[in-house]
Amino acid sequence: MSQTTLNVNGVDRVVDAQPDSALLYALRNDLELRGPKFGCGLGQCGACTVLMDGTAIRSCVTPVSAVGRARIVTLERLGTPEHPHPLQAAFIAEQAAQCGYCINGMIMQAASLLKHNPRPGREDIKKALNDNLCRCGTHMRIVRAIERAAGSLHE
Amino acid sequence: MSAGDTTGLDPALSRRSFLQSMGGLVVAFNLLGRATAAVAAEQSPATPTAGNLDAWLAVHPDNTATLFTGKIETGTGVQTALAQFAAEELDFPFERLDVVMGTTSLTVDQGPTYGSMTVRYAGPQIRQAAAAGRQALLDLGSRHFDVPVGELVAAQGTISVAGSPSRVITYGKLVDGKRINVEIGASGKGFDLMVAPQARAKDPATYRVVGRSLPRKDIPGKVTAQFTYVQDVRVEGMLHGRVVRPYGVGATLQSVDAKGLQDIPGFVRLVRRENFLGVVAETEWAAIQAAARLGSNLNPAGPQAGQAKWSDWNGLPKMGDLWETVRKSVAHDYPVANQGSTASAFAKASRTLKATYQTPFQMHGSIGPSCAIADVRGSGAIFWSGTQMPHDIRGDMAKLLGIPLDNVEVRWAEGAGAYGRNGLEQVVADAAIMSQAMRRPVRVQWMRWDEHGWEPKGPPLVQDLRGALDHQGRVVAWQHHVWLPTFEDTHLIAAALIGSPDISGTTGVGEPAIAYAYDFENADVAFHGEGRVGLMTSWLRSPAQFETTFAMESFIDELAAAARQDPLEFRLAHLKDPRAIAVLKAAAEAYGWDRQAASGRAVNDGKPARGRGIAWVNRDDTRVATIADVTVDPHTGRIQVGRVVVAHDCGLVINPDGLKNQIEGNVIQSLSRTLHEEVTFDTAHVTSRDWVGYPILRFEEIPDRIDIVLVNNKPDQPSTGGGEPSTCPTAAAISNAVFDAVGVRLRQTPFRPERVKVAMI
Repeated sequence: MSQTTLNVNGVDRVVDAQPDSALLYALRNDLELRGPKFGCGLGQCGACTVLMDGTAIRSCVTPVSAVGRARIVTLERLGTPEHPHPLQAAFIAEQAAQCGYCINGMIMQAASLLKHNPRPGREDIKKALNDNLCRCGTHMRIVRAIERAAGSLHE
Repeated sequence: MSAGDTTGLDPALSRRSFLQSMGGLVVAFNLLGRATAAVAAEQSPATPTAGNLDAWLAVHPDNTATLFTGKIETGTGVQTALAQFAAEELDFPFERLDVVMGTTSLTVDQGPTYGSMTVRYAGPQIRQAAAAGRQALLDLGSRHFDVPVGELVAAQGTISVAGSPSRVITYGKLVDGKRINVEIGASGKGFDLMVAPQARAKDPATYRVVGRSLPRKDIPGKVTAQFTYVQDVRVEGMLHGRVVRPYGVGATLQSVDAKGLQDIPGFVRLVRRENFLGVVAETEWAAIQAAARLGSNLNPAGPQAGQAKWSDWNGLPKMGDLWETVRKSVAHDYPVANQGSTASAFAKASRTLKATYQTPFQMHGSIGPSCAIADVRGSGAIFWSGTQMPHDIRGDMAKLLGIPLDNVEVRWAEGAGAYGRNGLEQVVADAAIMSQAMRRPVRVQWMRWDEHGWEPKGPPLVQDLRGALDHQGRVVAWQHHVWLPTFEDTHLIAAALIGSPDISGTTGVGEPAIAYAYDFENADVAFHGEGRVGLMTSWLRSPAQFETTFAMESFIDELAAAARQDPLEFRLAHLKDPRAIAVLKAAAEAYGWDRQAASGRAVNDGKPARGRGIAWVNRDDTRVATIADVTVDPHTGRIQVGRVVVAHDCGLVINPDGLKNQIEGNVIQSLSRTLHEEVTFDTAHVTSRDWVGYPILRFEEIPDRIDIVLVNNKPDQPSTGGGEPSTCPTAAAISNAVFDAVGVRLRQTPFRPERVKVAMI
């Protein structure tokens, strides 16, 4: 094993991980985070999405060695049920989840979108989320939730 | 406290001993965020007795309460709906009521959670149990205040004396420290379980909790990463396991070359039993690496390409021969409807039509690959599973391991949406075999290609339809014959691999999944069923009825077009079922349907063309009518859905927004199945092993709008199912809309662009 320091959710954390191992497993197993999910391990579904220096990446195909000093942010960092992030509050308000397994990716992808485009239109949202898969078919609500969150940022 | 927290129960804590120490209605479980060290007890806690009140409800000293149910949540919102039943009858604040689901030592077996049957069957069971609980609390209140029950008021978790508002006590205080051993009575089992038959439930007209769009209990935890999915459960001392499945579905394991595996940091060992092969490691990454070397990859190059060497097995039918194979395999015939004389009606008819509809293997396609943890020690075992049938899996594992049922506990935690029996049951057996070999807890999660490749599939169907019209354009004869493999194969893959294929599970024979819907003078509707044909199959959302509805509701549209009649009017003219007529009319009204025959004209200007289509279903007494607008681009063959209108009658709706969430999900998932989904395979194995090979609907393809009308949502109407019926009409509605737009009939799903273009030539 080899020790690597990762900056996760604002804190430097030492993990014991193979340099070529996927970031996802360091986050889930070493750091015991539950936001990022294993969905495909192929970068195809988006369930594992985290922010790296503010941009959404697929942690299941990002080697630990590629992270370096970049700042990793997971869903845990955004907010809590008591103090939710505007995106989380919007997902609750729109009841935008069924099984919810993909929702980590939806929220993190949306966080990345709103950072780069604070006033997205509906088509922008669909385009930004097009590589995030949802099997329950919660898409209509997810789009509405992101629209709501974008609106609340400008209130 | 979320449902997932049930996994955090202190394993040393048996329900029975805890209840004994705390008293009947008073329970204060020590709920931890994560599972602590599990030591499989030789005698695991037994499943509670349905006739005892404390099997269902616990009121805690802080005036919170817990509902225990053998049903589970799979993303449909039944946890919230069942809590509404309980809160309503118990007169208890919904917000203060938690729900513990599925865990076999804590919940009554109310049957598996499938078939849109939870609200319909488990709802009344919980309603009666909660009504009995309210009665028990009133009896306690009567003794406490020394006034007759008739002078007490139960409301919002308190009991007060009518007319004396100061004489009030919370349920929590009322039961504090007392042992209340209330027998409420129960008979039957599973779906037919009758609970507390003497308890008087409320008049539905007075409902204040049931029928409200209360927010789902699980969503805040799910959107803030505080929820515990089964994939999140960690058990002390656990190892990580991965399966290495045969290259060909029926291949045998010839040899395993373990060279180099010990060099993978964290690798522990191989687990091999006959054709079952797994790897176990201290880290998940090491298990994945080891499995990959043995041959667990997205695209394995051949049966001998990895370090595990498999026989060259090629027993699957050729994909191009699939429907002929299904047609020829049939061993069982079931008449569904037989009335009048179709033979003579066809002979006399002024016009006859016939068509064949074909639908492929499809998959559940859960976003989270199946996962389970097993801790098998000696003759005892604990499992952590997201299964839809924890009580059944408990029995299956006892058989698989050859240990007494009493020594087995299944602790349930929610998995990713399953939409039927996917790999969640199968992976428990994989974990069991690996843990038994290791004598340590082993967590197994399938890789994406394990899930796509090995989850039991929805079956392929081939359907022949024939219809006859008289000179007035009325249907005088209808023939619908369906050929299909079973969709009820509950065998365990791991059991087959270790050489004991029949140790548990059964294989069905393709039972009818169709309601004879129309009122035709002469009709001949029949099923021709078989067991397993090619790939293993199991129920997938609206099993087989998604496909039969596609065929019947497309073919009735073909007859309407042949008769040059409005498709809505044509259906209404052949229907007597008032609830079917009501949903069709409600959908048409919401849509703004003007009555005219489908255009059905071919496009010759090359421009995208628009069309509308309608279809309906009666699935287990729930009626659904769907209208969809499509735009078909003749250049690309792409179908884009615009507006969808759904009218839905499942009687009294427990949570209207929750139901709408389900209907939207059904529409989008079934649209995905209609437009995109087909399992591909060669003669060895499934070749659509990821989301590229098995694409599903993406955001840029979702409808513009989904408008939902709830019909017959009245307190006096019994609730039927809402989890899946609205899946059924979609394929026909789209097919019919495509005909309206461009004049071609699509009779084979999926309607991928290349197929649409070919049809338009």
